[in-house]
Amino acid sequence: MSLTDLRPAARHSAPPPPPGKTKHWLYRFDIKTIPYVFISPFFILFAIFGVFPLIFNGIVALRTWRLDDRSLDGWAGFANFERLLTDEDFWNALGNTFGIFILSTVPQLLAALIIANLLNRKLRATTFWRIGILLPYLTPVVASTLVFAIFFARDNGLANWFLSLVGFGQETPLDWRAQKWSAWIAIATMVNWKWIGYNALLYLSAMQSIPKDVYEAAAVDGASPWKQLWSITVPMIQPVVLFTVILSTIGGLQLFNEPMMFDENPQSASGGSDGQFQTIAQLIYKVGWKDLDLGYAASMSWALFLIILVVAGINFAATRRLGGGR
Amino acid sequence: MRRTVRAGLAGVAATLLIAGCSGQSLEGNDDASNGASGEQITLKVNFWGDMGLDALKAKYEKDHPNIKIALNSGEFNAQHEDLQKKLVAGSGAPDISAVDEGFIVQFRNQADKFVNLLDKGGADFQSKYLDWKWKASMSADGKQIGLGTDVGGLAMCYRSDLFEKAGLPKDRDAVSKLWTNWDDFIKVGQEYTKKTGKKFVDSGTNLFNPVLAQQPVGFYDEQENLQMDGGPKVAFDVSMKAIDAGISANLASFQPNWDQGFKKDQFAVLACPAWMLGHIQDTAPNQKGKWDIAAIPGGGGNWGGSWWTIPSQGKNIDAAADFVKWMVQPEQQIEVFKTVGNLPSQPALYKDPAVLDYKKEFMSNAPTGQIFAATAESLKPQYLGKKNGPTRVAVENVITRVQQGGLKSDAAWPEAVKQAEKVAKTAK
Repeated sequence: MSLTDLRPAARHSAPPPPPGKTKHWLYRFDIKTIPYVFISPFFILFAIFGVFPLIFNGIVALRTWRLDDRSLDGWAGFANFERLLTDEDFWNALGNTFGIFILSTVPQLLAALIIANLLNRKLRATTFWRIGILLPYLTPVVASTLVFAIFFARDNGLANWFLSLVGFGQETPLDWRAQKWSAWIAIATMVNWKWIGYNALLYLSAMQSIPKDVYEAAAVDGASPWKQLWSITVPMIQPVVLFTVILSTIGGLQLFNEPMMFDENPQSASGGSDGQFQTIAQLIYKVGWKDLDLGYAASMSWALFLIILVVAGINFAATRRLGGGR
Repeated sequence: MRRTVRAGLAGVAATLLIAGCSGQSLEGNDDASNGASGEQITLKVNFWGDMGLDALKAKYEKDHPNIKIALNSGEFNAQHEDLQKKLVAGSGAPDISAVDEGFIVQFRNQADKFVNLLDKGGADFQSKYLDWKWKASMSADGKQIGLGTDVGGLAMCYRSDLFEKAGLPKDRDAVSKLWTNWDDFIKVGQEYTKKTGKKFVDSGTNLFNPVLAQQPVGFYDEQENLQMDGGPKVAFDVSMKAIDAGISANLASFQPNWDQGFKKDQFAVLACPAWMLGHIQDTAPNQKGKWDIAAIPGGGGNWGGSWWTIPSQGKNIDAAADFVKWMVQPEQQIEVFKTVGNLPSQPALYKDPAVLDYKKEFMSNAPTGQIFAATAESLKPQYLGKKNGPTRVAVENVITRVQQGGLKSDAAWPEAVKQAEKVAKTAK
């Protein structure tokens, strides 16, 4: 708006000679159209790589598209979605996804908050510590997951060695992949390890913009550091907390690499022998590229998209309330 | 309103800019690969591991100066998945792609995406191949999508040093006589485990698969009906018996734990096709001379082996077909066998001195050419259903659950049938 408002004002102050028709057109083009041209690349790329796949996926979700049997191809209506409701594999994967999501997100954000709070104090070699906690984030996820897969191995695994030190599982070592709870813990550990430092740095940068006198006043009033953290710091960095909660929700519900590479038999994408840690993203991959049922996989993707929207919305509302609901 | 129109125009302008750039680069590509006769043609060949093509490439390029071969070796699963995605996309596939036995059913069901090699003079080769090898890459409506390269054959690799320590025979002929059937094999395993306190086989699934391959009918009959009570039941019972006998180390193949198992002597035998020898050698190089090869209980078998296929979306399918036909000629097949040990799939070559006389030094000088050729020839051909791959994974997972202790072995069979039926149901 402001750009268009400027023009008449300029004319009044110094009336230019009546412009030629081409020049006039160019002038108008420059003022009115060029800004859109400059911002358009983002929207065009988003349309190609964001909106188009979303719509295309929605269309595929309403079709039967079977690579193993092309004769079945055709419109399916909502049959894929109906099938989803009674598919025990889908509900199992949904449960796993939420289980791992809670086990990873909650400790991750809490730990990040506490670490950021520690780093916000006067420490020796602050830069060293701050870079140090970011290192896991810089490690390629495939590399770190492979190391963790060996760490949580049944025979000769480091995790089991630690457990044996405290007298657990010396007779029969724990098979981390065999039960849901142990597999979830192992995968959540990988996620936590990777993202705690990243979130801590985000919190830290927000914390540093909080004026010091607020804390001084609180200290004078006798507030403990713990009380200061929850009553001053968290409410004041609330926008960043919101941001991290939403990002971890999206990331957590799309979890794929970790369970995939943790599996003993990644080719099957079955998330353990009994689907103990098969996440929805993994199930989509399996249905699409192992069972070759692209239509059904597309409907799962859309269901996941809707689930993420709902959960992110709930988390958004809950986190706003946590900060005192301004 | 006018504003939206303008924004739209701006979008179009920017799209044209982007399109202009990409259009140019596409043209550049066309120039490079446009294959009129006499011009340079580049054939991209996708495969995995080492298929012994380096020497062949040099030779072919020398005889055909206008052809350049671009070899692209990748990871086994990634190459197959990449091919599948490019077939769906309709572009980007290599000119020639290797396809393994585990994926050939999936791709022969999409035969319209491949060049039918019968149209390119491939029919002349039918009589040269093992019958089951020829049929396995043929679609239901009679299109031939691939020409076979190698077959795995199947034998039983064993650790002669560990056998000796356990008081078992060491010599490969004597070991073969120990186990003419799978019951004997399990008894030998129990004896070994009792003497040494160590496990005998790597896993129950690695017994299930070879036993299943020896049955006349696999998971599906030729009408695509699931036949769990036939071959699969026999194979499943053998694996359950081995697990109950306590001779299985319960290690999943090709995983870090399994590789560790080699080094830590966690198992003494391993069902092995020809190409497995390379893996043993890479994983445990210091066990040279400690491994040997005996016959597999129950006779023949096969595990793995590949085909050369030509996706029909390619621009140079005729040049690609010529190269594939050249690669499967006896001379080249023998060359590959000598360099990497892959066993040819044409029985006439099994009489070739290069195959007959070959001895593998790492495996205590076992005559691997003879051993694997014999098992590949005596294999009873088995029809692989459309859902063979996913069904096998489902049943293997049940076996793994028994090994992990989550399922009792006497309750496992009904569960295996249930899981297999679930996979089969989605096929209809």
